[in-house]
Amino acid sequence: MKRTLATTTAILLACSAHAADLGATDEPIKLAINEWTGQHVTTHVAGEMLKAAGYQVEYVTAGMMNQFQAIADGDISATLEIWSSNVSDEYAKKIEEGSIVEIGDLGLDAKEGLAYPAHVAELCPGLPAWEALKDCAGVFATAETLPMGRLVDYPADWGTPGAERMAGFGLPFKAVPAGSEGALIAEMRASTEKKSPLFLVFWQPHWAMSAYDVQFVDVPVGNDDCFNDASWGPNPSATMDCGFSPTRIFKAAWSGMEDKWPAAHEILSNYQLAVEDAQPMMGAIDVDGGSVEDVVAAWMSENEGKWKPVVEAATQ
Amino acid sequence: MTEATAPERSALPLTPGLTAALLTLLVGALCLLLQPYAPWLIAYPAGWTLPATEWVGGGLETILNTIKPTVRWFSWAISFPMSWANWVLAGAPWALVIGTITAIGWHLGGWRMALLGLVGFGFVLLSGYWRESMNTLSLVVVSVPLAMLLGGAIGLLANEVPRLRNPLQVALDAMQTVPTFAYLTPLLLLFGFGPVVGLVASAIYAAPPMARNVMLGLERVEPEVKEAGIMSGATRLQQLMLVEIPAAGRQIMVGVNQCLMAALSMVIIAAVIGGFDDIGWEVLLTMRKAQFGQALLAGLVIVTFAIVIDRMSARLALERERFDPRVSWALFGVGVATAAVLALTGTATPPDGIFAGAADAVDQTLGTFTAANGTALDAIKNGAMFYGLLPLRIGLDEAVLPFTWGFQWTQSMSLWLFAAGALAAMAATLTGRAMTGVHVLIGVGILETGVANLPWPFVLVAAAALAWSSVGPRFAVVTVLLLGTILVSGLWERALLSLYLSGSAVAACALVGGALGLLAAVSKPAWAILRPLCDMLQTIPLFVFLIPVLMFFQIGEFSAFLAICAYAIVPMIRYTREGLVTTPPEMLEAATASGATRAQIMWDVRLPYAAPTVLLGLNQTILYAFAMLVIAALIGTTGLGQSIYLALGQADVGLGVSAGAAMAILAFIADRLVQGFAEDRRRVLGLS
Repeated sequence: MKRTLATTTAILLACSAHAADLGATDEPIKLAINEWTGQHVTTHVAGEMLKAAGYQVEYVTAGMMNQFQAIADGDISATLEIWSSNVSDEYAKKIEEGSIVEIGDLGLDAKEGLAYPAHVAELCPGLPAWEALKDCAGVFATAETLPMGRLVDYPADWGTPGAERMAGFGLPFKAVPAGSEGALIAEMRASTEKKSPLFLVFWQPHWAMSAYDVQFVDVPVGNDDCFNDASWGPNPSATMDCGFSPTRIFKAAWSGMEDKWPAAHEILSNYQLAVEDAQPMMGAIDVDGGSVEDVVAAWMSENEGKWKPVVEAATQ
Repeated sequence: MTEATAPERSALPLTPGLTAALLTLLVGALCLLLQPYAPWLIAYPAGWTLPATEWVGGGLETILNTIKPTVRWFSWAISFPMSWANWVLAGAPWALVIGTITAIGWHLGGWRMALLGLVGFGFVLLSGYWRESMNTLSLVVVSVPLAMLLGGAIGLLANEVPRLRNPLQVALDAMQTVPTFAYLTPLLLLFGFGPVVGLVASAIYAAPPMARNVMLGLERVEPEVKEAGIMSGATRLQQLMLVEIPAAGRQIMVGVNQCLMAALSMVIIAAVIGGFDDIGWEVLLTMRKAQFGQALLAGLVIVTFAIVIDRMSARLALERERFDPRVSWALFGVGVATAAVLALTGTATPPDGIFAGAADAVDQTLGTFTAANGTALDAIKNGAMFYGLLPLRIGLDEAVLPFTWGFQWTQSMSLWLFAAGALAAMAATLTGRAMTGVHVLIGVGILETGVANLPWPFVLVAAAALAWSSVGPRFAVVTVLLLGTILVSGLWERALLSLYLSGSAVAACALVGGALGLLAAVSKPAWAILRPLCDMLQTIPLFVFLIPVLMFFQIGEFSAFLAICAYAIVPMIRYTREGLVTTPPEMLEAATASGATRAQIMWDVRLPYAAPTVLLGLNQTILYAFAMLVIAALIGTTGLGQSIYLALGQADVGLGVSAGAAMAILAFIADRLVQGFAEDRRRVLGLS
């Protein structure tokens, strides 16, 4: 809450603030392109804004987990979509070192939770209420998990929120780590094609949410009481009997950016993108097959009101 | 194993092999009896481990930070050739690049090679991945000379200083068996972000085949040739440069070919770090969206490169014949002219892909197939899990349950199983095959407990016994020491899981691959079908096949098992066929003359003769299976592969390197064991 407030004030300040110097416009600002479409959209919108301000922009492909060394070294200037639920320890180290600085939230309202493709509701009547899963475990059972049901959890390097929830709610499910995002999507595809049961941990904004009509299971909203106090929530003897803590999506930049490209730093710091804007663009790319450049360009020209003020505040 | 063949039919000579087997049996039985009272026999207590991964991490980080400035300088220096190569390849018009490749193809191998170059690169152009492909190619163009220099230097050093030979061999083994993912993090820290990391990683991986071939080539130079050099008064350097290296030329060119292929197979690994927008990155993106058709298309671009480069460099190595350079110049000229025309008409940019429709169709078919055969696929998977993989991992006593086998495993069933095993062993001993008997008993014990639950003292003793009988007492000590380091570093449990998964895959590959190799040896049409399949399985980035496997069989061990098999089965097929096909004709004639039937010739002449080659194939299969473990972690396996992946994500240098080392240790021991047995067989056959 505090953070949102801070960002809002930042925007207000930026609008009234004096224009910053452009800085080194002859050197390209390098923005990280990670492995997923949503991030491509986020980054290309930001890149176009920087171009509109008079900068050169270069998009550099970089593994999400491996980019931080590059940002700390200044080889990449900024990365614009870091999920707090999925960030390596290295990031924390670099922040502590001071070689990377956080530059505010992106404003994307993310949601993570226990989920299922819509057709599964027929196989386990009573969904989306979580209580229905108590009696359905057998439906989700597989060779590896028998007699328990199978929950496809995040890949092991993203943590094990699914396993914690199963223990918290006391549900007879065994969490199986997915290994990779591709594995999660393949599971969803196969389940939708075969109309077979599937229960997994998923998140939005993501193009697959609409492509496979993914629904979230209803659970009590996550909060600190639930995470720390066993007596809170439907299961009096365990913590974690609630939804996920809200995921923060934020931006980070090389610490030298503010001196080298002051205005660009200000633009990226104030840059915001809402789910309502991002998710249709993701769909236009992954479901309808458009190119990132075209889709972003179309959105930019239709929604000047949403990004122009940020650029103008920093440059004029 | 030598003992197992001839002398054993007499009474019961207590050969070293039999002693070792009996000792293993004894330790196994003791562990089995004591385990209810001493649980530490199964699960190695956490309190006995050392925080080795942290030490490794801390130590390495200090070292890395010390040498970082020097290495960064190297990174800066190497970035120049990289950007030049990239500028030339990505900047040159596509018609010029295709023309050049076709011209080179003609020069090396006439119209066949020219056509291969034209069609291959034409496909790349039409796939719509031209820019990405040229980025990839420029990485290969710089990394291969680097790998050749490194490999050549190691090879020469080993040749000049015989004392360094053994340590260098071990270093080469490590370079090939430590999974690349394990050292990507330290490389990233050292060299900084960008293509340089991928370049260095692929140079490390591609150097060993070069080094081995240089060593082999120099070793095989005829003594007369060497003496001629000495007699004409050449210095050592002159002798090496002017006599020995040219004499070893052919073997060294084989090394170059292998080096190119290895570098190309690393492309996808380098893409994980990014920074280069290459074809491997495309494969990763499509893989993330589970788009099989598109991933396959991008993967085929890499296969195409591999085939063109392999065939052309093989010509360079094996054939002396060269074709008329004037035709090459003409072809090159056509390329230049086309490029000029395209540039003038303003259509020089590479065309969009024309295979998007085909890729979508493949993707659709996969979906429809999954939908139509869901039940059958589930049945296959459940069958394999219930009756094969699960018992192997956790043992019959835990895997046999009412909802898997239809009944509950009981104590008395265990007793019956052991009784049956003991009877079989007795029978074998009485007929003079004591070794077989002991092996049966050990096998029954493993089946009852499951590989993941094996008591660690038993594993240590069994490995030592195997090492003793196949290589010798010194290697037994080395084996125990190496396995001991895994034990105290706290990675034991994961190592056993990896051992189980790759072990079962190797067993399946040995059976199925052996049978396919046999088939390919006796039937030409079968080989005609199997050969291109083998080529493709070895060069396509394996990520691509994870998608259909996942769609069919979901996340889990069975999918991982299949993915490992798909890759590791290839050497088994190739070497089995190779061994069977190369039986000397005079042996076959002798057998035919003495009136042997075809089946008898196969069993009594060709198979025994092929045994050493087949064992070499098995050795390669084992190494491949270990290499695949890390990629199988993307499907969600547990074990060392997952630890390495986790470490990469978390930038945990210590865990990554330790888990990588553990994996290399397992591969190293398995490799030496099989080589030991192969050596034995060769001695029996009088081949060495």
